[in-house]
Amino acid sequence: MSIVREPLLKLEKITKRFKSLTAVNGVNLEVASGEKLVIIGPSGSGKSTLLRSINLLEEIDEGTIRFEGVEVGYVTRHGKRHLDRPQAISTLRAEIGMVFQHFHLFPHMTVLGNVMEGPLTVQRKPTDEARSIATDMLAKVGLSDKSNVFPATLSGGQKQRVAIARALAMRPKLMLFDEPTSALDPELVGEVFDTIHTLADEGMTMIIVTHHMGFARELADRVIFMESGNFLAQGRPEELFSAAQGNERIKLFLNRLL
Amino acid sequence: MNVSRNYLMSRAFAALFLLLALAGNSPAAMDYDQLFRQSGDLMAQGDLEGALKLLRQVPLPAAGEEAAPFVSSRMQAARIHAAQEAPDKAIAACQEVLKLYPDNSEARNFVAALQAQLKPRWHTILSDIVRFLPALAKGTIMTLLLVFCTILVSPLGGLLLALGRISTLRPISALCWFITWFFRGTPLLLQLFFIYYGLPSLGITLAPLTAAVIGLGLNYSAYLGEIIRGAIQSIDHGQMEAAKAIGMSYGQAMRRVIIPQTYKRLMPPVGNEFIALIKDTALVSTIAMVELMRAADQLFNTYFNITALGLAAAIYLLLTTIFTFIFEKIEYRAGIYEHR
Repeated sequence: MSIVREPLLKLEKITKRFKSLTAVNGVNLEVASGEKLVIIGPSGSGKSTLLRSINLLEEIDEGTIRFEGVEVGYVTRHGKRHLDRPQAISTLRAEIGMVFQHFHLFPHMTVLGNVMEGPLTVQRKPTDEARSIATDMLAKVGLSDKSNVFPATLSGGQKQRVAIARALAMRPKLMLFDEPTSALDPELVGEVFDTIHTLADEGMTMIIVTHHMGFARELADRVIFMESGNFLAQGRPEELFSAAQGNERIKLFLNRLL
Repeated sequence: MNVSRNYLMSRAFAALFLLLALAGNSPAAMDYDQLFRQSGDLMAQGDLEGALKLLRQVPLPAAGEEAAPFVSSRMQAARIHAAQEAPDKAIAACQEVLKLYPDNSEARNFVAALQAQLKPRWHTILSDIVRFLPALAKGTIMTLLLVFCTILVSPLGGLLLALGRISTLRPISALCWFITWFFRGTPLLLQLFFIYYGLPSLGITLAPLTAAVIGLGLNYSAYLGEIIRGAIQSIDHGQMEAAKAIGMSYGQAMRRVIIPQTYKRLMPPVGNEFIALIKDTALVSTIAMVELMRAADQLFNTYFNITALGLAAAIYLLLTTIFTFIFEKIEYRAGIYEHR
């Protein structure tokens, strides 16, 4: 007897249009708790837009988002769909961590300040508690010694690890990585990858958009190949990469990367 | 020496004629009558030394004797010396008179005038400065009061206008646009006139200081609003997204993340505005407020002395210089996190 578990995240018929361009074209996706999902695909295929739609940084045109079985983000009033109240959206975002390609650390706060900011301002935790959470998270990403410096003094890899710690400090149930290593020098990719790997080993649910096939091979439970707003193929990494042999488009893309 | 030679000569002749008229009635002074006439002739011929020699022949008056010829001769000599641009000799001649008649006001005034001429120019300017400074200091305090009130009010007003302008609520952004458009688009002087002289006709009478702070505050809010809006919009959009991604509301993101990052960028243009403000407070002198400019103008009109205006200029420069340094300091501090 198997227990039917509700997926952590369930997307149905998500469509996002920018003027005449359809960035995401009615995709369906279920992400189970603890799953590591990697989305690959050429630039402009809609991977980032899909990821940003999940935590409502993009307002979708059609479709529904369910998080822990509850429909989130939008309400229907007078037969028309609207974004939910800002309060509700903030609450959802607080449960979903996001890591950006360009880090977007807060430059006017110290490293510790960056990581404390969520617990302090959003969760309104006392300073001592926020500091102790932040200290733990910085230890997790291996940057305890950088607590009191400003982000301007860090390398790209260090910045991205701080950004991961900042997201983790909110104790998210889902982590979204939007090309987390694309802005890094090649020699700095490893440290960020290791950090993400550690998280994965701890059982964090994550969706990673990347051009880095290392993630897909080593880390992913499932890889999705996306193009022109559609899922072209998906499966376990080894399946996808072998299936790719039969798909000219995927083969071309992978050959260019590998 | 800038005492007119002609002027002194004419004074000398006038005094001489007066003396002759007096001497004509006194038989005892007949000798002197002749002497003064001769010396007058010599002066008319331009022989000042000869005239002096004659005048010097008048002796000290003996006890009980008429003093007038002696006093007249020495004062005349003093005038000739002054005309020759020898004030020290002129003073010596006056002092011969003062030795005998310390209360002689003519000799005393002449000595005072000569001594003032002997003083160097900077001494006069210095004494003017000391004379004008109290009034100007009072004006400066009023100017500073206006500046500080405006500095307290206008950044808040500017921030509200900036946030209103970038608001997605149309009525609010339209209203803030209108306020900015109006107060940037009309002269500050006109706004001050309207608030001080115009509002009473609507039943609102304001004290000059209140009217001035309202006028300056609104005008500078409009300018600062656009500067603040520009600074907010210049912050990388990713900052707002990152703030939202950890669950911050728009207000929290603005307060904690976006606005603190604008401080460094705000300082140069805001410093500019506040330096302009120091000078713009001069316009307030038109609505019955005695600030630095008005104080200087009053002194200038009373004494017709350019030093008052020069001193006011120096005070304005001093204030703007202090502001420049303060803002450079703040800019450095505000951007310290960018230093590697």
